[in-house]
Amino acid sequence: MQEQKYIVGIDVGGTFTDLLCLNTETQELLSEKVPSIPGSQWKGVLGALEQLGIDYSEIRAFVHGTTIATNALLERKGAKTGLVTTDGFRDTLEIGRTRRLIGGLFDIKFVRPKPLVNRDLRIEVDERVAADGTVLQSVDHVDFAPIVQKFKDSGVEAIAVAFMNAYRNSENEAKALEKIQALAGDVPVCASTTVVPEKGEFERFSTCVLNAYLTPVVTTYLETLAAELEGQGIAAPVSVMGSNGGVMTLDQAAKFAAGTFLSGPVGGAGGAVRICEMAGVDDCITFDMGGTSTDVALIHQLTPRISHSNQIDAYPLQVPQLDIHTIGAGGGSIAWVQPDGTLEVGPQSAGAMPGPACYQRGGTEPTISDANLMLGRLPTNRTLAGGLQLSKELSEKAFLGLAEKLGEGSGTPVQLADGVLRIAVSKMAGAVREVSVHRGFDPRDFALLGFGGAGPMHVFLVAEELSIPQVIVPRFPGHLSALGQLLADLRHDFVVAWGGPLNEIEIADLRAKAGDMQAEATARLIDDGFDENRHAHTFTVDMRYVGQSFTLSIPCDPQTTSWEDLREAFHDRHEQTFGRADRHSEVELVNIRLFSLGLIDKPALKFVSPEGGADPVIERRQVWFGDDWTDCPIMDRTKMAAGETFQGPMIIEEAGGTSVIPPGWTINVHESGSLDCRRSYDD
Amino acid sequence: MKDLVQLELIRESLIAVVNEMRANIIHSSYAPIIYEGHDFSCALMSADGRQVAQGLADHPIHIFAVPYSTQQVVARFKDDINEGDLFLHNDPYTGGTHLNDVLMLQPIFFNGKLGMFAAMRCHWNDVGGMTPGSLSGRVNEIIQEGIRIEPTKICDRGVVNEPFMNLLFNNMRARSERLGDYNAMVGTGRKAEEHLQRLFKRFGDGLLGGIEELISRSERQLRAKISERPDGDYLAEGYIESDGTNPDPLVVKLKLTVKGDEIIADFSGTSAQTNGPTNCGPAMALNAVGTIVKSFLDPKTPINQGSFNPITVISEPGTFINARNDAPCGGMAECKFLIDSVVASAMGKVAPEMTVGDLKGGANHIIISGSDPRGSNYIHYEWPAGGTGASDGTDGSNAVRSYNEGDFNSIQSVEMVEAQFPLRIERCEIRQSACGDGEFRGGFGLRRDVKILGETGALSVLSEKNVIPPYGVEGGSNGAANSFTVIRDGEIIQPSPVPGKVSGFPLKTGDIVREETAGGGGYGDPFRRAPDLVRADVAEGYLTVGEAAHRYGVIINGDNVDTAATDAKRAELDKARISVAVELSNEEMTDGPRRQFLVPKSLAGSLDVGNGDLIEIFTGRGSPLRAWVRLGEGGENIVVSATSLDILGVAPGDRVGVRAARPHPETYA
Repeated sequence: MQEQKYIVGIDVGGTFTDLLCLNTETQELLSEKVPSIPGSQWKGVLGALEQLGIDYSEIRAFVHGTTIATNALLERKGAKTGLVTTDGFRDTLEIGRTRRLIGGLFDIKFVRPKPLVNRDLRIEVDERVAADGTVLQSVDHVDFAPIVQKFKDSGVEAIAVAFMNAYRNSENEAKALEKIQALAGDVPVCASTTVVPEKGEFERFSTCVLNAYLTPVVTTYLETLAAELEGQGIAAPVSVMGSNGGVMTLDQAAKFAAGTFLSGPVGGAGGAVRICEMAGVDDCITFDMGGTSTDVALIHQLTPRISHSNQIDAYPLQVPQLDIHTIGAGGGSIAWVQPDGTLEVGPQSAGAMPGPACYQRGGTEPTISDANLMLGRLPTNRTLAGGLQLSKELSEKAFLGLAEKLGEGSGTPVQLADGVLRIAVSKMAGAVREVSVHRGFDPRDFALLGFGGAGPMHVFLVAEELSIPQVIVPRFPGHLSALGQLLADLRHDFVVAWGGPLNEIEIADLRAKAGDMQAEATARLIDDGFDENRHAHTFTVDMRYVGQSFTLSIPCDPQTTSWEDLREAFHDRHEQTFGRADRHSEVELVNIRLFSLGLIDKPALKFVSPEGGADPVIERRQVWFGDDWTDCPIMDRTKMAAGETFQGPMIIEEAGGTSVIPPGWTINVHESGSLDCRRSYDD
Repeated sequence: MKDLVQLELIRESLIAVVNEMRANIIHSSYAPIIYEGHDFSCALMSADGRQVAQGLADHPIHIFAVPYSTQQVVARFKDDINEGDLFLHNDPYTGGTHLNDVLMLQPIFFNGKLGMFAAMRCHWNDVGGMTPGSLSGRVNEIIQEGIRIEPTKICDRGVVNEPFMNLLFNNMRARSERLGDYNAMVGTGRKAEEHLQRLFKRFGDGLLGGIEELISRSERQLRAKISERPDGDYLAEGYIESDGTNPDPLVVKLKLTVKGDEIIADFSGTSAQTNGPTNCGPAMALNAVGTIVKSFLDPKTPINQGSFNPITVISEPGTFINARNDAPCGGMAECKFLIDSVVASAMGKVAPEMTVGDLKGGANHIIISGSDPRGSNYIHYEWPAGGTGASDGTDGSNAVRSYNEGDFNSIQSVEMVEAQFPLRIERCEIRQSACGDGEFRGGFGLRRDVKILGETGALSVLSEKNVIPPYGVEGGSNGAANSFTVIRDGEIIQPSPVPGKVSGFPLKTGDIVREETAGGGGYGDPFRRAPDLVRADVAEGYLTVGEAAHRYGVIINGDNVDTAATDAKRAELDKARISVAVELSNEEMTDGPRRQFLVPKSLAGSLDVGNGDLIEIFTGRGSPLRAWVRLGEGGENIVVSATSLDILGVAPGDRVGVRAARPHPETYA
């Protein structure tokens, strides 16, 4: 049998499909970038593979990040879905908690988005469980045949089952699921508590429905892809990135489509963890900036933070996801004038077409990329990778147009470009604050890791805005998401809604419950093909003060014999997050959570470093920093050797990214390949 | 250029501070009404008490009153405002809302000089008074609504006035929950201080200069928008149905004047304050006018004091919208939302393209209290949303907060309520058939049945628009009114002689409290609604086939619209519509605060109304004018007063539509 030496990570983005291939024998990385093919993502994947030119039979594993779930939801192209629910509650999805979950204040004409299930396809059945778990009305007497028949007659392609108080006792829901499955044939059916066994009917129903709505789309896509790959002679298993940062088997993804929303962006966080590890950094905030948006996430002690309550579009999604915050600011974001005459940037984007004015494709409005061009950060005297020739004249014209709309005092195009950039940086810094300050972390204790097509160009300015002293730019900054994919472990999340005030519950019960959870996790991982020596289990508990609603997640050793450590850890975390702790108040436990990894072999990564001595300076150019033009060297990253140290200002170019480093920064080329950059602040 | 950029940075930063304050309150609160209900708001004020910033989720009803309160603090304490001070306030007569809404102000000093105030207003679930939850439809003086806090310094240079705070907490129910509310606010003030100091460090004095510039830009923007509208007087009126005690309604009269770049809202002629709960302090009228003018003319510009500067409000002290001691103010939201409704009616004439169907009226306060099996007492408070009003091109949305409200929840989760209280929610669903009809229809309200599991219980309700339904516009019909009843042994019981005003109605095990909220008012002629949209509403069960036929003239056969039958039905229904000429009366016909129309017997017969019933006349433009029937003898015309003609904008002899304004639209199978 032939040696299977390649691991392939593929990240399908809105504009490009990025591919990274690791040769596990030589630790060499190959990269490829081809345009994405909307509507047929798998074609883009095949195209990228073809470009790579490797022997398919030598591929050992294949990990895929896809935006298929997100796109299907945003374009409302999910399955026609039916809901079976408790009598009296078919409108739960529609009423929700009556929060708009969109803007609407002062907006007379706002329209609340419709639920994903039409009202006539939400069927009530006579069953009920009380808040304490007592079955008030069993589901045994319900005849599901007419319901399923109605669904079939209506062309329903997926069915969700969601009952009131099922988080407390899922007996009725489980019975209904089984009966409906038996009747539904090929139509996928899921139950709320199997998707998310947590309290809160609106969030749980919504999550269950999202899952049903997406299942056929995600399944069909993945099956097509797997078949196409097989047709190409690729026997390696295909797996998919999950929103929780781990990979899922195709089987898992088919059962839990709602767990794939962040399949694309999570790769970046995973890649970031590996880069940090190699660079000797434990805590970092990722800064992944592309053409239309910027994703940020916080990684504490080499672990990305997880968020359990999420929202996608106007729909709550109660599944564990990496806590990634996205804002609509990217290289293509447009600068414009607000009604009261002030300047604003984004969220509208010029996209790939027409793109920024400087792309010479008909764009006339100034974008962040145009601002960078005006400030000397992009070359105009030679083409970019991909053959793009930028036009300074068109950027300037766009800014002159903006100045005219702003009226007096708008300054020269260069000053205006500088202002636009500052506003964009402020927004991006806001996103970083969101994932740090809002969660009780000080961003200055973290390194900022800049990647994505536009990340390295802005990451230093964002760091300065927040007084962050360390910035890391990885090698292949444009491909970090794909890198994360090919290094990701398999992951399962478990939650058990159990607890109570600590003085009323027994720690032995915690140990017992945790033991059961771990046994289930172990069985699943063995099923997935992972020996026990490649399992890693991590427990946390959700805690709050008695009387509070929101919980904080506290790491937990399930073998602990006293509540004291947990109680103290909670007080400390509360104080850190909310400014105060009530150390005299009783603390309660709400959920036990476990995430279990099936560890893959982490191949060593070796970024080829050039011999020292080559002159990395490509040219020198006037670049705008702070308030003035500065003579600045433009460097070739591939000629900067490990161990060398440089001083900013400096622009470093490489395929897939340009780092713009202001004065005051010291750049160290780390042996891992990353640029490790530091500066200090007066305060 | 630098200034423009700095301005944007300052604006973004200030809104970010408010949002961070919000997150802090939600996550650290102990009270479901805060963490589930989001009944709180945060804002930043200038050192002299002008509004600087709020977020898009913060409720105008809370926030627009804060400047008034802050100015009271500044006026009272002058130079005695120091670092480490905290102020507390809830008194309606000096700018508060109702006593439950407790405002904490933390002065923020920059380099030793008072720079700003961080403001946090939270609904405390109980502030004492005669009923659990403090809000009741049947109070007679403010003392019964809880403890009144005039602007008070509760913390002097970091030292908390413990005796005062003890006095407060000892006079409120559920003390530990109150402490939790208080602590969440204190912690949030600290966070705000931290953030604002950071901003000051960054922008220096430019921070305060930037704030002034932002306020003046908002003002210039609104002035420009007002200038685009024709000068003139625009009249409107509306009613509080009952103060809970007295049989008469209360009237709000408005003359809204557009003059150049200013708006003057003159509420002269509004009813005197009463001894029932439906009064509000002086801050609410400006609050309402500000909210509605902004929504109609300038919804996109960020909100700050500049949005109020072009607006002058005239309200006489001693009227129920500018109440004085000791008028109860528990129903301030009812008053505020009525003023909103009246101002929206006038603004619909100023900016006809924005004209919009009316809303559910007050907050719909529902308080269910009782003892649980473990022996302790509980208070459950909810305030269900209604459907929103329709406007040109847009149907109203179902059971959701409207444009004049912040994005707070209105219905607590069933599972949360059932886990916490001895209650079982038997249904929580869309209230079918209850929309205002129109070319664009209003949104549907909701229906919720809450079953009492404990041995004893009590129900209090404070609600409006239970009798006088939300109006439709441009000929659209009214939405269904709110309704709150009790079902006992299968029978529907009215828990109060005054609909919507219930005080401590005793509940028994097995009783079901049924909450039904109003549908939004419709927009335009229902017979012009696209038949396919009606068919879709029928398919989804929002309307019945019968309602499609009788209310929209749309005939549905199976799954399809019968086009020919629809045309015929619409022609038939249109022919049956009643329109009459108006005739000028030589007297201002009223019955107490009630406007009256003199309706000939024959007309009353065809409208199916009698003496004292509510009817409305409408022109197809803007909102209808409502009045109570005074039966006349002969004649064909409807006789109205001169002010009626002015409000409606018609001349004697003009023909108008006339119909009954019924609280509940007709339903058909």
